[in-house]
Amino acid sequence: MNKNIHIQGCLAGKILWVDLSKKRIWTEPSQEYNNLTLGGRGTNSLIMLRNIKIGTKWSDPENLLCFGVGSLVGTMAPGACRVDVSTINIFNRGKGSANVGGSWGAELKYAGYDNLIIVGKSKKPVYLYISDSLVELRDAQYLWGKDVFTTEFILRKTLGKEDIEIAAIGPAGENLVRGSAIIVDTAKAAAGSGVGCVMGDKKLKAIVVRGRGKIEIADPGRFMTIVEKTYQKCKQNPATRLMRQAPLNLYADSEWEGWYTNMVTRNGQDDYWESTKRQRLMNSQNGVPSMIKGVRACYLCPTGCLPFLEIERGKYQGDKGEGFWINTIMGHACRLDISEPEAVVESWILTNQLGLDGDYTASVISWAFELYEKGIISQKDTEGLVLNWGNSDSFLALIKKIAYREGIGDILADGISLAAKRLGKNTEYYSSQIKGQPSIEPFRIPKGWALAVSTSPVAGRHLRGATMGSIRYGPKPRPGNFNSTDYVGQAQGVVWQAKTKELEDNLGICSYVSTWSGANFLEVSDLLELINSGMGVNLCEEDLMEFYAVKGRNLEKVFNLLHTNLSRKDDLPPQRFMREKVKKGPYKGVKMDKNRYNKILEEFYTLWGWDTQTGLPTKTGLISSGLAEVVEPLIQRGKLIEK
Amino acid sequence: MKIIRDNKLCYGCKTCQLACSYHHTRSFWPEKSSILVLRSPLTGKIKWSINQTCDECLNEIEPLCVKYCTYQALKIAK
Ligand code: SF4
Ligand code: SF4
Ligand code: SF4
Repeated sequence: MNKNIHIQGCLAGKILWVDLSKKRIWTEPSQEYNNLTLGGRGTNSLIMLRNIKIGTKWSDPENLLCFGVGSLVGTMAPGACRVDVSTINIFNRGKGSANVGGSWGAELKYAGYDNLIIVGKSKKPVYLYISDSLVELRDAQYLWGKDVFTTEFILRKTLGKEDIEIAAIGPAGENLVRGSAIIVDTAKAAAGSGVGCVMGDKKLKAIVVRGRGKIEIADPGRFMTIVEKTYQKCKQNPATRLMRQAPLNLYADSEWEGWYTNMVTRNGQDDYWESTKRQRLMNSQNGVPSMIKGVRACYLCPTGCLPFLEIERGKYQGDKGEGFWINTIMGHACRLDISEPEAVVESWILTNQLGLDGDYTASVISWAFELYEKGIISQKDTEGLVLNWGNSDSFLALIKKIAYREGIGDILADGISLAAKRLGKNTEYYSSQIKGQPSIEPFRIPKGWALAVSTSPVAGRHLRGATMGSIRYGPKPRPGNFNSTDYVGQAQGVVWQAKTKELEDNLGICSYVSTWSGANFLEVSDLLELINSGMGVNLCEEDLMEFYAVKGRNLEKVFNLLHTNLSRKDDLPPQRFMREKVKKGPYKGVKMDKNRYNKILEEFYTLWGWDTQTGLPTKTGLISSGLAEVVEPLIQRGKLIEK
Repeated sequence: MKIIRDNKLCYGCKTCQLACSYHHTRSFWPEKSSILVLRSPLTGKIKWSINQTCDECLNEIEPLCVKYCTYQALKIAK
């Protein structure tokens, strides 16, 4: 049963459709979709479900590339800046989704659009120019082949404008590297599911946006009261200071010695990194923190977690760029055993510049390093590169080879499954893949984290329920157990966190500002008040958590069931982490126990209202989350439990 | 009264710009703001400017730009 709501504020009002094959541009009202989903990712998911025929491949012109700006973006809700990018997942034909901040989304809303849907394929490279109601496809031949930074520079220069926002792909997306990202503002990546590869396949180099319109709210006075309250919380909370340099704090400060400082090392051989290496990378005298020239924030964000770094010595001197994340450390340092700060920062700048997904890049390259160590590949296969652990020159060289599909890079650009078929010898065992997508996540020590990553409908990424942050800052009591190293209570914690993430992605609120980080500037009750006063509706917390959030998850689950053969076996962590134990350090001897994992998986299915054994949705469950329209197609494919 | 900004503290979040537009229009409309924040993604530099439409937040308890700058980069110079 759908909720009968009629949103009266916060929206821009239109969905912009662009058909690249027919060069046709049109709009439709966005309100009806948003009434059903609350916006953002939910609306993207619904559009995909209704418009993409079963059997469509990612590279078919009929595949959609959907940009869904969160429904609170453009307002003063703290951290409201995020955009969901959804398309067919390159790695498994299911639902693909990535999420990005910056100012691009707000600009699109001020231009008048809540969602932008790209369909078809252009024959020649084009870029899309949006300036309020002026929407044009323009020649991008002169930009094709250029990296992200150069593209941004040329577009700003030729358009002569400083006040535009740009989302672009780099050579990786153009060359159809599976792990390509769409880069906003040169440094924020919509990464995962191969979204940049789909954009490249459509020959769409960039989307330039300028908006001059306004966003109105249903009850401005009431809305500003809750805005003020949440800004005050942020100002007063001591966590704010820590959040502003979270990765640096986590890694530099030994007081926070925990599982999150024992990330996956050497491609998954261990979950322990020597503290001397950590010190070398993160010490404040000459480690990464010493390269920080300033910190930046995405649009309307009171947290501000984006360091701007400049390398001042050594062979990469002069290179600069924004962003340094936990994932940078997990993927580009520990995973390859690289502790030279300059090299790690350089590798991160390079992935943005070339338009790569950093996680994908680290996962496939560390896999190649391990195959080299095991003698499965040799210098003959790597054009002479020596792939020994800690070799940053080889790491950087491989990043470029992947983006340009040169030599072994051409094999690694196709994802691990295909590469493993070509290389044989049980090579897939050494990979970290979930539902076909290379991953860099930990699967042994933090049980809830592993559960969230393994069950993520968009394959192998942690922002669909992983529960790290809430351990640290001691928030209000949460359901379940947030000590991620236990099995008990993990499923409740993960489901709760995943539900809040559904809401955050629909509203466009950064999870770091909301429930995920544990600082909780925005609790669910605050989100509710922002929605009710901003949109002029009258919902309760249960509507958010038990209806809209469940619906959001089901939309993606159903897309996967209709379009793929993914099943329970695809919700398991990679085999290796259930067989090989942690070898050294405080977690020595730990692995993921398969039986206990299966138990928490079943608890997890049950909590979502799915069948305990198969994880399939039930008829009543779907109807009560407002998805009666998918019941028939699921029955036809034998993917629904009829109760 | 004059609003001044400390470049070292500014994160470029543009909250001041949007808050100002709320003061003028009771909606969120950056075009109508007295403040303009521009960020160069390539250099990380932030350009901040304020124009003559600033009425010092007449009828507000305090200037909204200052109030909502959580980075405390804005101050009132008397
Ligand atoms: S917390 Fe960081 S990533 Fe999130 S909106 Fe703020 S600056 Fe952007
Ligand atoms: S609100 Fe403060 S930190 Fe943000 S742009 Fe304005 S002055 Fe800078
Ligand atoms: S004092 Fe008021 S009117 Fe002036 S810039 Fe700040 S918010 Fe705008």
